[in-house]
Amino acid sequence: MRDVVYVLAAVLVVSVVVRRLRRRGASPGVPPAVRLWRSTVGRHRSAGGRASRRLLGDTGLVAAREVRERVRGRFFKVITLLLLVVVAAAVVVPTLRSSSRTHLSIGVVGPLAPSLREAVVRTAASGRVTATFVTEPSAADARAALRSGAVGLVVDHGSSLLVKTAGAATGTTAGARAIHSIATLLGVDGAFRAAGLSPAQAATVSHARPLPIKSLVSARRSNAATSTAVIGLILVFIMLTQYNTWTLMGVMEEKASRVVEVLLATIRPIQLLAGKVLGIGLLALVQAGLVVGVALVVADVVGSDLLVGTAPLVVVATLVWLVLGYVFYCWVYAAAGSMAERQDQVQSLVLPLSVPVIFGYIVALTSVQSTTPSLLVTVLAYLPPTAPFGMPVLVADGRATWWQFAIAVVISLAATVAVARLAAAVYRRAVLRTGRRVRLHELVATTR
Amino acid sequence: MLELEGLTRRFGPVVALDGLSFGVAAGRVTGFLGPNGAGKTTTMRAVFGLTDLDAGSVRWKGGTITAAERRRFGYMPEERGLYPSMLVRDQVEYLGRLHGLSPADAAEATAHWLEVLQVVDRATSKVESLSHGNQQRVQLAAALVHQPDLLVLDEPLAGLDPTGIDAIGRVLVERAQAGCCVLFSSHQLDLVEDLCEAVVIIDHGRLVAAGGVDELATGGTRRLAVRVEGDRDGAWARAVPGVRVSERKGSEVRLVLDEGVDSDAVLDAARRAGQVTEFVFTRRRLSEVFREAVAQ
Repeated sequence: MRDVVYVLAAVLVVSVVVRRLRRRGASPGVPPAVRLWRSTVGRHRSAGGRASRRLLGDTGLVAAREVRERVRGRFFKVITLLLLVVVAAAVVVPTLRSSSRTHLSIGVVGPLAPSLREAVVRTAASGRVTATFVTEPSAADARAALRSGAVGLVVDHGSSLLVKTAGAATGTTAGARAIHSIATLLGVDGAFRAAGLSPAQAATVSHARPLPIKSLVSARRSNAATSTAVIGLILVFIMLTQYNTWTLMGVMEEKASRVVEVLLATIRPIQLLAGKVLGIGLLALVQAGLVVGVALVVADVVGSDLLVGTAPLVVVATLVWLVLGYVFYCWVYAAAGSMAERQDQVQSLVLPLSVPVIFGYIVALTSVQSTTPSLLVTVLAYLPPTAPFGMPVLVADGRATWWQFAIAVVISLAATVAVARLAAAVYRRAVLRTGRRVRLHELVATTR
Repeated sequence: MLELEGLTRRFGPVVALDGLSFGVAAGRVTGFLGPNGAGKTTTMRAVFGLTDLDAGSVRWKGGTITAAERRRFGYMPEERGLYPSMLVRDQVEYLGRLHGLSPADAAEATAHWLEVLQVVDRATSKVESLSHGNQQRVQLAAALVHQPDLLVLDEPLAGLDPTGIDAIGRVLVERAQAGCCVLFSSHQLDLVEDLCEAVVIIDHGRLVAAGGVDELATGGTRRLAVRVEGDRDGAWARAVPGVRVSERKGSEVRLVLDEGVDSDAVLDAARRAGQVTEFVFTRRRLSEVFREAVAQ
C-alpha cells in the first residue's frame, strides 16, 4: 500500500512539473534537454490527439472541449483546492489529536537499572508520553529541579517517587496516567526483587506480553473504516451534486445560447450528449483521484489509520461508486437540462432529481455512525439511485461480500443503460425546442 | 446543387411548410425571402435535419445527404449560437475541428477568417464581451471556417452597420464565385438585390416566386417610365394597344408593354399628348416583386 502511495505522489509531482514546463512554452533560457524533451512530448501529444479523434471522433472532441473549458475556469480550480484542503484536514486533524505526545522528564537519584529504564520508557509510550531521564546528583537537587519544573517526576533509588503537586499523579491527563503506570511498574519490580528474582528475571517478567484476545463475533467495523466511509460519503455527495449540476447547466447553456443548433447541424445529438457527460465524467474521475491520492499521501506521512485494516477497501469502493453514481445520474441531469433554457425553469426540474441523492446520503450517513446494522441501507445499496451511498457503507461494515458488491454493480450498470437510452431520446427531442420549458408528456406525444 | 422537394411540416394546427420545392444552384448567391412566419427558418433547419419533416426530402447533388456531406455544410442560425464564455479563437477552431479539420488547419483557417472579417484583434476575447456586430462576424467565421460547399445563413445581415454589411456581403459573393452554394434569408430587400443573382420567395410555406433577380425584376416584360407635361393620369397611354398603366407616381406614369409593342409608337403617342420630359426603360425593384408575389 505504501508503495502505491509513493507512486501516486510521484505521478502527481511529475504531472505538475510537466504542466509548468509546458506552460512556459518557448520562453528563452530553457535548457536544450528540456526543449528536446518538450518537442518529443509535443509530437506524442499531437499523435495522441489524432488517435483520440479516430477512436472517439466527434464525441472525443466534445469531451475535450468540456475538459479544457472547465479546467480553465476558476470554479474548478477553487473547488478542487477546497476539496484537497478539506480532505487533507480530515485526515490530519484526528491524528494530531491522537498523536499529540506529552513529554515527561524524569529525574533519577541513585541507580536505576537499564532494563528498568527501558520498561519505564515503554510504559510511558503506551500512554503516548515520551519519557526521558535526567541524572540528579542528590535528592536536594532533584527537589529543586522538580520545583523549577525542569523535571516532572523524581525516582529516588528506584524505591520512591516524588511529584510537585499531588494532582500531578492522580489527574486524568496523559502525564498523570503515565506517572501512575510508572509507579505500578516500579512497585511490581520491587516486589519481584523482594521475591528473590534476579534483575534479569525481573526484566523478563516485566517484558511479559498480554495474551491475544479473540472474540466469537468480530467488531462491526474499525474506527478507521468508519471515518473513511464518512469522508467518502461526504465526497460522493459533494462531487455527484457538483458534476450533475455541471451536466445540467452545461446542456442548458448550450440550449439557451442556441449553440446547440450549430453543433447539431454537424454532429448527432447522441455524440454531443455523450461527449459532454464523458468530458465532465473524466474531470470528476481526475478530481476524485487527485483527492484520494493526496489523502493517501497525507495519511502515510502523518501516520493516519486511513491505510489500516478495511479502510483502503472502503476507499476503493467509494471511488467505484462515485463513478457508477455519476454514470447513472449524468444522463438524467442532461435530459433535464435539455428541457429548460433558464435558471428559473431548472429549479422545478432539479428538486425531484435530487431527492434520491439526498435521501441515500442521509440514510447512509446515519447508518455508518450507528452501531446497529440498518436494513434500509442494505436495500438502498442495491437500488441504482442510492447504491453510491449504500454500498460503501456495507463495505465499511464488512457486510458485503465481493459477489454482493458485483451484483449491485451489475444492477446499476443495467439501469444506467436503460436510463441513458431514455434520456438520449428526451434530449434529442427537447434540446431544439425553445421558448418555454418542455414538458415530458409533450415529448411522448409528439416528435421534434 | 441543393434541392428541396415537397417539404411539409406541421406544428399542431400550424402549417409551417406546405409542399415547398425549390433549388439552390452553386456558384451564385441566392436570397431567401418571405414575410415573417412564411417558413424560412423551418426550411433552413430542415436542410440540416434540425426539424423533422412530415413529408418531402432535401437532396444534395441529386442524392440523400450523408453525414460526410453535411460536415461540408456551413450554417448560421437566426438566433446565432456561440458559447458565451469561450474565447473567440477557441470557439471557431473547435467548430472547424467538428467539421473535420485537423488542429493545424483549424487554427490556420480561424486566423484567416477572423482577419478577413476584421475581428482578429478580438481573437482572445470572450464571445460575450463582443458587440452584436462583432459576434455576428464571429458567427459567420464559424460557418466559413471549413470552406463549406453549402452555406445557409439565416438573417446574416440583421442589425449590422454598413461596414459590417459590406464585409459580410463581400465574403458571400466571393464564396459563391469560388463555387459554393450560398442561400441566405433577409428582410433587407435592397441589400438582397445588390448581393444576389437569384431569389426564392415563399409565403405560408409555399413557393410564390423564384428565379434570377434580373428575370424577376423585368418579369419577362419591358417597362417604361414616362413623364408628359400636363398629363397626370396617363390617359394617352391607355389608348395605345398592348400598353398597360401599372402605376402612377406624381406626373410619372409606369407602363408595361406587351410583347411586340413598338416603343417608338409609345413615344409618338406621348409626344402627341404633350411635351415628353422623361422616357426611360425601367425594371421593378425587388421590393415590388416581393410585394406582388406575396399579395397574390
